[in-house]
Amino acid sequence: MTDTDPMKKLMSFIQHELMGNQTDPISKDDDLLGGGHIDSMGIMRLVAFLETEFGVSVPPADVTIENFETPQTIADYVQAACRGRS
Amino acid sequence: MNFDWTDDQLAYRDRMQAFALEHLSDDVIDRDERSEFAEDLWQRAAEFGILGLYIPTQFGGKASADIQTAMLAMEALGYGCSDGGLLLALNAQMWAVQLPILHFGSEFQKERFLPRLCDGTWKGAHGITEPSTGSDVFHLQTTAEKVDGGYVLNGSKCMVTLAPICDVALVVASTNPAKGKWGLSTFLVEAEQEGFRRGANHLKMGLRTVPIGELHLNNCFVPESHRLGKEGGGFATFNHSLEFERCCILASQVGAMQRQLETCVRYAKERSQFGQPIGKFQSVSNRIADMKVRLETSKLMLYKVAWLKSQGKSAMMDAAILKLYLSECYAQSSEDAVRIHGGRGYLCENGIDRDWRDAIGGVLYAGTSDIQRNIIAGLLGV
Repeated sequence: MTDTDPMKKLMSFIQHELMGNQTDPISKDDDLLGGGHIDSMGIMRLVAFLETEFGVSVPPADVTIENFETPQTIADYVQAACRGRS
Repeated sequence: MNFDWTDDQLAYRDRMQAFALEHLSDDVIDRDERSEFAEDLWQRAAEFGILGLYIPTQFGGKASADIQTAMLAMEALGYGCSDGGLLLALNAQMWAVQLPILHFGSEFQKERFLPRLCDGTWKGAHGITEPSTGSDVFHLQTTAEKVDGGYVLNGSKCMVTLAPICDVALVVASTNPAKGKWGLSTFLVEAEQEGFRRGANHLKMGLRTVPIGELHLNNCFVPESHRLGKEGGGFATFNHSLEFERCCILASQVGAMQRQLETCVRYAKERSQFGQPIGKFQSVSNRIADMKVRLETSKLMLYKVAWLKSQGKSAMMDAAILKLYLSECYAQSSEDAVRIHGGRGYLCENGIDRDWRDAIGGVLYAGTSDIQRNIIAGLLGV
């Protein structure tokens, strides 16, 4: 598990912390907010998680559908941010 | 951990307090009765640099204070100025209008709007609440349809601070209803734009000296240059702006609590009943002690949040705790001040009652106390 592969930690956080261990698992392409899996508070908790867990800075202007629609887009965003940092 | 302010910060605070005491105190009791906004005091405040204290000089601000110093200064402003409506007007424009423009605006937008807002020429409003959506803010009905060169906005906003006299309004609208929260965008709508109408001032329980009302958008064209942030970026601008607003908008209430405490201590020493000052009765002195505790604990929370923002850190949890705690403390201490003053506190002519009426507004605007509790619980994963 490295910064280049954030998906496992990300999925675990979403499933267990934000969705409260719901039995239906989400896939990496599920629309998190639009699909009703998490609410707006969840997005903000997710931002805090990314900053703490992966050491990336998430400017407010980056919290858009392009970056936060699905676990995959979030993972891509984190990877890009990590590359930009190194 | 260092709780000391620098000499420069304290000097700035003292200048702000002296200015407010000398220039921002007028016949507020009469104006409160008439629900009248003090245009002259607004201009004086702008000329002193209050509106622009956190805005860079290149955009017409004074850049005279970092966020921590700004909080200390706004606290001093609240001590020196007893017009709660004016304080809300200044704070609402600074934190809910100017700051989003500074943080999300294009160079064009910063250059067009910030100088006019900082020098007091223009007043800005931030329209979020709608007739059918209050705390459930993301289910708003106002739409922005993309057309050639811009957007056509339709909808209404209500409970908007400064709306009846605003020159520009930040309006959150849906550019893509199918995308829900991701389909929101924020626009800067100028009052002279065709299809934009400002409603009348509402008569209110408190905060009567700040106009609050509705905004109506009827096929109102807004050029693309006036969209704040990205299309679909309304969720981000909204969350960021509201967090900053929660951090800053109540700083002046800390100063008001200090003023209130001093007034009560003075009265408790001067007023005698049953052959001794009323402060000798524990039912009075305990209230005063509780007011002091609320003041000091509120200060600590305000300073911690200001420090978090100065470090560029997220203050989601702390801002919600601050907004909840400080607004409730001010309301409780305002009630205590009326009780300590007895019948005199109940008479409008003494101004003691006005703080209480104003304070109730503070537990409602910028997210009610119940919403702050929801945020706190939500962040705890409940």
